[in-house]
Amino acid sequence: MERRSFLTQLVLTGGALSLGVGCGREIQPGTQKIAADPESPVLGDKKMILEPARQIPVLAETDVLVIGGGPAGAAAAIAASRAGAETYLVERYNHLGGLWTGGLVLPLLSTHAIDRQKKARQVIFGIGGEMSQRLKDLGMSISEVNPVIDPEAGKYVLDEMIRESGVKMLYHTFGSQVIMEGNTLRGVFIESKSGRMAVLAKVVIDCTGDGDIFHWAGEPYDVMKYHIGLVHRLGNIDRIDTGKTGYVKMDVGSPTPLPGVNWVNMHGQDDQDGVDMLNLSRLQMEYRREIWENVQKIRKTPGHEQVFLLDTASQLGVRMSRMVEAEYKLTLEDTMTYRSFDDVIGISGAWTSMLYKGKRVSSQERPLWQIPYRSLLPKKTENLLVAGRCFCFERELAEDTRIIGTCLITGHGAGAAAGLAVKEKQSVRDLDIAKLKQLLLQQKAWLG
Amino acid sequence: MARLRDSLIAVLKKIGWRGLSTLVAIVFSSTLLIPSLTGLYTWLSPFLMLNSVLALKSLVWLNGVGCVILIISFFRKRWFCRYLCPTGLGCDLLSATAWKRGISVQKIPKIGRWLALISLGSALMGFPLLIWLDPMSIFNGFFAVFSDNISIPTLLSLSGLPLLLMLHWFFPNLWCTKLCPLGGLQDELYELKNIPSILKPGRQNNSKTQAEGRRLFLASGIGILSGVILPGWVKTAPAKWLRPPGSVPYGLFNLLCTRCGSCIKACPSQILIHHKGNEDILAWMTPEISFENQGYCQANCNLCSRVCPGGAITLFTTEAKPQLSIGLAEIRNPEDCLLARHTECDRCIAACPYHAIEISPSPVTGLLRPVVNETRCTGCGACAAICPPVIIHIKNTASPGKKAVSTNS
Ligand SMILES: Cc1cc2nc3c(=O)[nH]c(=O)nc-3n(C[C@H](O)[C@H](O)[C@H](O)COP(=O)(O)OP(=O)(O)OC[C@H]3O[C@@H](n4cnc5c(N)ncnc54)[C@H](O)[C@@H]3O)c2cc1C
Repeated sequence: MERRSFLTQLVLTGGALSLGVGCGREIQPGTQKIAADPESPVLGDKKMILEPARQIPVLAETDVLVIGGGPAGAAAAIAASRAGAETYLVERYNHLGGLWTGGLVLPLLSTHAIDRQKKARQVIFGIGGEMSQRLKDLGMSISEVNPVIDPEAGKYVLDEMIRESGVKMLYHTFGSQVIMEGNTLRGVFIESKSGRMAVLAKVVIDCTGDGDIFHWAGEPYDVMKYHIGLVHRLGNIDRIDTGKTGYVKMDVGSPTPLPGVNWVNMHGQDDQDGVDMLNLSRLQMEYRREIWENVQKIRKTPGHEQVFLLDTASQLGVRMSRMVEAEYKLTLEDTMTYRSFDDVIGISGAWTSMLYKGKRVSSQERPLWQIPYRSLLPKKTENLLVAGRCFCFERELAEDTRIIGTCLITGHGAGAAAGLAVKEKQSVRDLDIAKLKQLLLQQKAWLG
Repeated sequence: MARLRDSLIAVLKKIGWRGLSTLVAIVFSSTLLIPSLTGLYTWLSPFLMLNSVLALKSLVWLNGVGCVILIISFFRKRWFCRYLCPTGLGCDLLSATAWKRGISVQKIPKIGRWLALISLGSALMGFPLLIWLDPMSIFNGFFAVFSDNISIPTLLSLSGLPLLLMLHWFFPNLWCTKLCPLGGLQDELYELKNIPSILKPGRQNNSKTQAEGRRLFLASGIGILSGVILPGWVKTAPAKWLRPPGSVPYGLFNLLCTRCGSCIKACPSQILIHHKGNEDILAWMTPEISFENQGYCQANCNLCSRVCPGGAITLFTTEAKPQLSIGLAEIRNPEDCLLARHTECDRCIAACPYHAIEISPSPVTGLLRPVVNETRCTGCGACAAICPPVIIHIKNTASPGKKAVSTNS
């Protein structure tokens, strides 16, 4: 009864919310089509209520706003800020690096590939390369090709780079809705302990991994259901007593830079919806139990008594979800044929085998591949760029495009483009590509 | 327009209809061109068509081409030989330059007629015996060597036509007039017109028509008889290697396959090779699937079945492909699977077009590894090709008819 009277108090009339922000122009929240995903139990056939209109404080009017602080978001924010733009970075958790650090996905893959002379070479440079180098200098990275890092060192290094470049960091803050003016993105609503606020920006970069921003902006996209896992770490690996009677070799994962600490990847359940929070909650609990029970089994095995569960990842391992429909969809063909693009923003590598023209192409034979700026540029929404695992590519490519190395490259490209657009007072759509490439080269990116 | 026509006629006069046809045949037989055209010219042969249709008791629309030629040769004596046959052109050219005017073949009986009838008789019983003697497939087979590695079968396939042609230096006109079953078939057809008059009462039978009737009876009798005896013999021994999807049962395949090599040429993944006969001499030179060059059978492809003139590879649509089995994926060293070592990998699942692979922990070791769903797996080899540590292999399924072969036409 009480609940019903509460509901009746809500405004029930239809129509868009209108807000007076800034200079009095009418700015509307993005049209999130609630019924767009009939398969999702969260967004399915639910009773609806209307949220009453309210005044929202504008935290800042900035040049560049980056939502999501994963490998892509961190690189983007640093690049934009170094290009001279005032930059805000919004991250829902308490660390940068996304799945790389908080997800405990420690190997930075795709750092190398085969060049036209058929020689293996490094391809990841620029801001991503700098991160990798700094971790190496700290002694917190093992192996030259596809290095495995220490997650806490990763968080620390990214924090330092963000601080040095002058990015305004907003931790514990969720980017929750977009502010639209027609097809033009004006800013993002953020949610935090301080309540709902707006950040207005000249350019927004969607680095949420799941494409939350372009989804709310009404941009068309593809959805890929994929396997979701939860990574964990084990301690005291160096104290496993292989000489003990009854010792059996157990599966304890792979080494990290820390002595005695291993990381254990999880393939997880296939065909999972990565943006359905009920599903994510279920998987989180199932996986945690699975890991706990498995570690107990290891500890009961002779020789493994000292092994312990150090931690499970603070970010659930969503590998793929939404993929934006941008101006250009990168194809498998492009990546197999040294396709060069006029608007190349970076080059990524290969770490696994692919099928091409009816044949296997192993990782040792795979060419390096260029990423065009147009693949980060959404078709419809103005002032928006997309970087990280949700940019625009063919599904066959997902295994390469979602990888940390590639995310660092797309992040750097998007950040530099946003910074340049602000400086040149141009829209990201009409950017002078020659100048962008010049800026990227100044920022030590490698464009082939 | 008129000039173009005139010059075309001039060219035609110079090279003749058969020359033009030979040029077309070369274009269709060589591998340089659009794979879907490969070998299509062999469908012209009415001998091939009749053997295939009688054996399989079914028609595909391309058989219509052979039917038309069949009908024409009923009214025009050896029409195919005179206007279309590329092998015939070669034989004639070499006969003309025959060595010391060659040895006369006058006395040799017209074996081709017997061969044609025997083959058709046995085809009627489901076992076409002599389909491989078709001159169109011999011609086409010559070009197969350019799309497969050099091996004894490919060399034989290559040498078939030159050998046949060279024979004519010594025995001019031997093949066309005496041996060719396609020529023989046309002769039979042309003379079939006489049969009503033979049967007419009161009319004296001459020895020629008598011989005709006797041959018809005897040859087709031999064919039918061998068709009855053969099944038990050829059906034994299931294949120990892999054949293209949609292949007819093992023994029948060996008979129905003309060895023309069209499927081998057409395969875009280049996974088809000539069987070397080391397992079974009867299967010599028939197509074998080999995954050695790291290719796989692509889900959206049905080229081998579209170019097969004999119907050994049943024509299938790409939609039917999930039902057509080649073999079965098998995980050889599960402990080497990248997932068992916690390395990020999903290649086999992503590559499988039939959703036949799942990842699950081994009940014994607890290690993750791919598990193959045997009812879904067709053995296409995509997972085997992509697997980074190469632990997946395609094995031959003991019963090749595991999945129903759809006779889609
Ligand atoms: C189990 C697993 C194993 C993997 N193994 C490897 C590997 O070995 N090597 C490799 O290179 N790659 C691996 N990957 C892939 C790689 O880790 C990720 O694809 C990559 O980190 C993606 O980077 P990103 O910046 O696009 O997104 P993410 O890393 O997902 O970062 C997105 C960030 O945005 C934040 N965010 C999201 N939405 C919002 C919002 N609305 N508001 C505020 N913040 C938000 C998130 O908290 C997160 O920090 C693996 C992935 C998984 C899941």
